Amino acid sequence: MNQDHMLICARGLVRRFHSGQEEVAALNGVDLDLPKGAFSVLAGRSGSGKTTLLNILGTLDMPDAGTLSISGRDVLTFSAAERADFRLYRMGFIFQAYNLIRVLSARENVAYVLQLRGVPKAERLRRADAWLAEVGLAGLETRRPDQLSGGQQQRVAVARALASEPDIVLADEPTANLDSHSGESLMHLMRELNGKRGVTFLIASHDPVAMDAARELVMMEDGRIVERIGQ
Amino acid sequence: MLLLAWRNIVRNARRSLITIAAVALGLAALLFLWGFNDGVHNSMMRNLQQVIIGSIQIHQQGFFRSPKLTRDIRRPDEVRAALRDFKGPVGWRLRAFALAAGDDASEGLVLLGVDPQRERGVTRIADKVSRGRFLAAGDATTCVLGLTTARNLGVEVGDDIVLLSEDRFGSLAADRFRLVGIIDSGEMGIDRGLAIVPLDYMQDWLSMQGRYSEAVLQTDRDGLEDITRRLRARLEPQGYEVLRWYDMYPVMKQWVDLENGFYYIFLGIVLLIVAAGIMNTVLMSMLERVREFGVMMALGCGRWRLAGIVVTESLMLGLIGTVLGTAAGLGLVAFFHQTGIDLSSQMDTIQRFYIDTVVRTEIDTDHLFNSVLAVLLAASVASLVPVWRVLRLQPVEAIHHV
Repeated sequence: MNQDHMLICARGLVRRFHSGQEEVAALNGVDLDLPKGAFSVLAGRSGSGKTTLLNILGTLDMPDAGTLSISGRDVLTFSAAERADFRLYRMGFIFQAYNLIRVLSARENVAYVLQLRGVPKAERLRRADAWLAEVGLAGLETRRPDQLSGGQQQRVAVARALASEPDIVLADEPTANLDSHSGESLMHLMRELNGKRGVTFLIASHDPVAMDAARELVMMEDGRIVERIGQ
Repeated sequence: MLLLAWRNIVRNARRSLITIAAVALGLAALLFLWGFNDGVHNSMMRNLQQVIIGSIQIHQQGFFRSPKLTRDIRRPDEVRAALRDFKGPVGWRLRAFALAAGDDASEGLVLLGVDPQRERGVTRIADKVSRGRFLAAGDATTCVLGLTTARNLGVEVGDDIVLLSEDRFGSLAADRFRLVGIIDSGEMGIDRGLAIVPLDYMQDWLSMQGRYSEAVLQTDRDGLEDITRRLRARLEPQGYEVLRWYDMYPVMKQWVDLENGFYYIFLGIVLLIVAAGIMNTVLMSMLERVREFGVMMALGCGRWRLAGIVVTESLMLGLIGTVLGTAAGLGLVAFFHQTGIDLSSQMDTIQRFYIDTVVRTEIDTDHLFNSVLAVLLAASVASLVPVWRVLRLQPVEAIHHV
């Protein structure tokens, strides 16, 4: 595959954790190329290394060995502050437990990333409202997270992840806390945004709903990628 | 950052209110105690100056250490010229030593010649006369004695005493004086060993016509240092000494400084309580939000920005508590300044230390600002532990924090 089209290019990623005296290899030499515009689901049983890989690809964690290039940048050479900046400008995140900022409204949550980027207030609020409308939450802009359902909160998280127009959105078990209807609806929304706007999604999930929605399944087992289906 | 910090404070309103109340109460109590302390000290220092010694005295160089009649102010006009810009009251006095004899006893004392009219504008010694009257214009061989001296000599108002001294040339001078008033100040240095006589007569009597031992100035505390500095610059090269009240009576100033030192220890204790309270609140708030901080880091918020939020929360708690505490503390000080605190049950003790029987609270600006700034500083310091924890957060661990 032509590497120029690759958004993510990982080689030989290894990540070990210590559990008492024992050393556990959560990633055991992962190679992964992910093209721009992909809608891929990292699938596998619990403990297969999905979240660990997602954390490293999201520059939230560092591997013990291997190389990683994202958007052509060798992100493993970055300092913590540079990684934070990289995430701010290049990445969006959706987490399992909604993880919105509790004291901010839906609009303020979405606008927060734009505020970190120094976007003027009027502009960031306008863009936040537009993204909330895009994910079907028009009219709920001023609600706090505890005034929204789980599905609505996850849609706010999607809007927040996309508001800064990142190169890639990384989602860790985004449907895990949702009922099946909300889960399907969320996956449909993300797939639609991928198709309509070309946003790259990499989703870690073992939820069949998520796997059904994937354009590509990246199967993981014991810290390795064992199969890629549908590329 | 401000919005986030404020919303986080409001999020747990009860905990924040308790912290703010603790800061406010601590500061209010501290300011009230400073108000009482400063009220007592300022009344002591004011009274000490106003009763007899004045704020500043000017003598010929060396007079204060070794007071001799011959060590008088050489050129009074030179001193008057230096005092031309001084707007406050100035008294001119003559000081000598004398032996006083009543019918049955005698006692050594300081003989102070004052201009009766002018002295009333400079000191309040005339108000301390408890029996008889103070000296008046036109008096000649009259005198006022302290109560203890009068008792020791066995004399009463209307009696005569003989004062024996040396004139300027060393010749013996003796004269009979009519006792017109007795001073009961409660202060041993005045009630025992002091006789006040008319300046004009004393100058003639001791061959000191037109000569003075000291110029006494009365000024408020704000002007004291500046006036002293200017007078010293002008008069010391001419052979005069310019002494502030506490240069002459350092014990009271040292005592005030010592007591203020104790209050600074109390301030330290209040600060510890304030810092512990704020740190507890901010740390708990921070620990409750570790996951939220992890998410914010994942979104691209740097650690120092997160630390900024924690510091802002801490400062906001401290600032609100400080504003309320300052308002409450100053309110108490203002209230007791108006009504006063009656200490008359301790009359004997407090008079000896020149303290007014009704203490009116007042607070020195440096004590006010030091206390307020120290509380704000404590609020900043209180955020150090939470900040340290925030700076050590790892995004992955924080996001999965339970």
